[in-house]
Order: sequence, then structure tokens, then C-alpha cells
Amino acid sequence: MSDGALPPRPDYRPGSAQPRLNRPVRERYPQIRPTSGYGDPRIRHTGPGPGSGSEQEPERSSKLNARLTLALTVVIGQLWGLTVTVNEWMEGNTGTVWWGAGFLILSFLAVLGLWLLDPKDR
Amino acid sequence: MSLTEPPPPATGPELAGEDAAERLRDRISADSLTTRRDYLRIVATVSGGLAIGGVGVASGILHRHGDSDGLPRAKKVADQLAPGESLAFRFPGDEDRALAVRLSDGSLVGYSAVCTHLACAVLWREDRGADGELYCPCHEGVFDARTGEVTAGPPPRPLPRIFLTEEVDGSVWAVATARSGEPAKEALCRQFGESRPEMARRLGCAGAERATESRRT
Ligand code: FES
Repeated sequence: MSDGALPPRPDYRPGSAQPRLNRPVRERYPQIRPTSGYGDPRIRHTGPGPGSGSEQEPERSSKLNARLTLALTVVIGQLWGLTVTVNEWMEGNTGTVWWGAGFLILSFLAVLGLWLLDPKDR
Repeated sequence: MSLTEPPPPATGPELAGEDAAERLRDRISADSLTTRRDYLRIVATVSGGLAIGGVGVASGILHRHGDSDGLPRAKKVADQLAPGESLAFRFPGDEDRALAVRLSDGSLVGYSAVCTHLACAVLWREDRGADGELYCPCHEGVFDARTGEVTAGPPPRPLPRIFLTEEVDGSVWAVATARSGEPAKEALCRQFGESRPEMARRLGCAGAERATESRRT
């Protein structure tokens, strides 16, 4: 199929061709209230287009989920590390215990880094 | 950094009165607004607490039950201990609960009586098992009477051992301790090495030879 066979594209207009979809968000989605979700900060524009009742930056949310998952995994590792450290202390292996403490501190720095990547994100 | 930001509070004539009151009620009755970012901050705080805990453990805030720095002073436990009998005493410190048992075949064993699980008191139960066993009633922890190893239940470590000796007149003395799971020779060398080198040499400890020789010259 050649390019010539394609029908001409319609002119671009912001919004929808259907006027009912161009109403303000509060009219289109009465379910979304100021307090739904986290006060729904996703909605910062009325009308159609980015920011109107949908995520503008889909990666932002998933990045935050990923950071949270990683941080929780590291904390689970820390809980394990602490039990091992206490066990070693009780057995009198003081050298190993300091290694354990180092592991716990490094893990904390990793979590801190995950948080500091974007402390303002939701 | 996020590109989005919370919407500015909507104000306007259309929000006055009834509508504003309804919104306020809405906001008050809303779920608690713990965001995922808050949650990440909480996780980071917990993680920091665990790191501090690890450093605390390494610097020794936890008391190691039934352990002492250096050689504890020998303590007379009993004048006599008949087979099958057990005796509770305190060793090496006044706070360290300990247990001496004479097994039915005549051998003498001693352990710290603080359970390695959650520090309940361990009891001697002669009626259980072939040899009798050391039993923790709190969570059904069971320790082997001869070695102190865990044979059942949740305790993570064997019971710390206490070395007992019997004098010719039959009196029983507690002389030294081993940490949980520490081999007997290592424990004795650790404690006798400095204060009683001749004893350490008799045990054949590494380093004891050299220490006594250098003292002689
Ligand atoms: S405290 Fe002894 S088994 Fe839990």
C-alpha cells in the first residue's frame, strides 16, 4: 500500500471531537472528589488533555513503587542481618558482629539513597 | 523531582457557603493521607533504627548471659550432688542463673539456666528422654543434657556451658564458663590463658608456651 492511498489526516484540535468529553473534570467524573486518593493531585488541568484526571507522568508513580519495593526488601534484609548479628554476639564472635553492624549501616545508606532520589515525590 | 504539584486550593464565588462546607466535611472524613512518599520516609527511619541497633549490639549493649570477662572466681555450688539431682545456683555473676546436674551415670554437667530463645528459666527434667533433658517450659525448648545442644523447640543456640569440678570431699565447684557453642578447650584457654598460664599450658593452649617462657626469661 502506497502513501498516496492514505486518506488525509484531520486537522489537529486539542480536546475531543465530542463536546461531552470536553466538559470540566468535575462534571465528567463526579466520583473524583477533592479527597479521593491523595486529594487527587493528578488533576491539575480541567478539560481533556494531560493532567486532567489521569496521570501525566506514568513513570513517576512506577518509579516510586520501585523505590519503595527496593527499600522494603533492604529492610527485610536488615531484619535478617540483625538476628544474625545478635546471634553472633551471643556466641562471642565480636569480629563478625562488627561486620554485621557494617552491613546494617550500608543497608541504611542504600535506603537513605532511595529516599533522597526524590524526597518530594508522592 | 516531580513535575506535578498539588493543585492550588480552589477558591471562588462558586465555592462559598454550602459547597465549601460539604468539601470540608469530605476532607475531614477522608482516609488518612499517608502517601507512598511518607511511607518511604517511614521505611528509611526504620532502616536507620535497625542500623543503630546493629551498632549497639556490636558495642555490647546486650548482656551475654552466663559469660564473664576474664576468669570468674571459682564458686562452691554444693557439698554433695547425688545422681539424678540438680541444683540451681548463680554463676559467674550474682545475676546469672545456672544449673548443675548429676546425670544418672555420675557425670557432672553445668549450664547457664537462661534459655537462649527468650531468656526463660531452663529446668532439669529427669523423666524426659533417655538421659533426662533440660527443658524450657516457655516455648517447649529442649536441650541435650550432655552437650547443651538444642534438640527441639525454638532456641537458636546451645546453652552456654559451665565447667564444674568435684573435689575429693565430694563438694562441687564451678570454675569457668564457655560461651554458647564454644568448644570446651577454646573456652578454657580463653579464660585461663592470662590469669593462670600454668593451667593453660597443661591444657595445651596455643600461645601458652610462649607466654610462660617469656615470663621465665
Ligand atoms: S524462652 Fe525458652 S523456648 Fe522460648
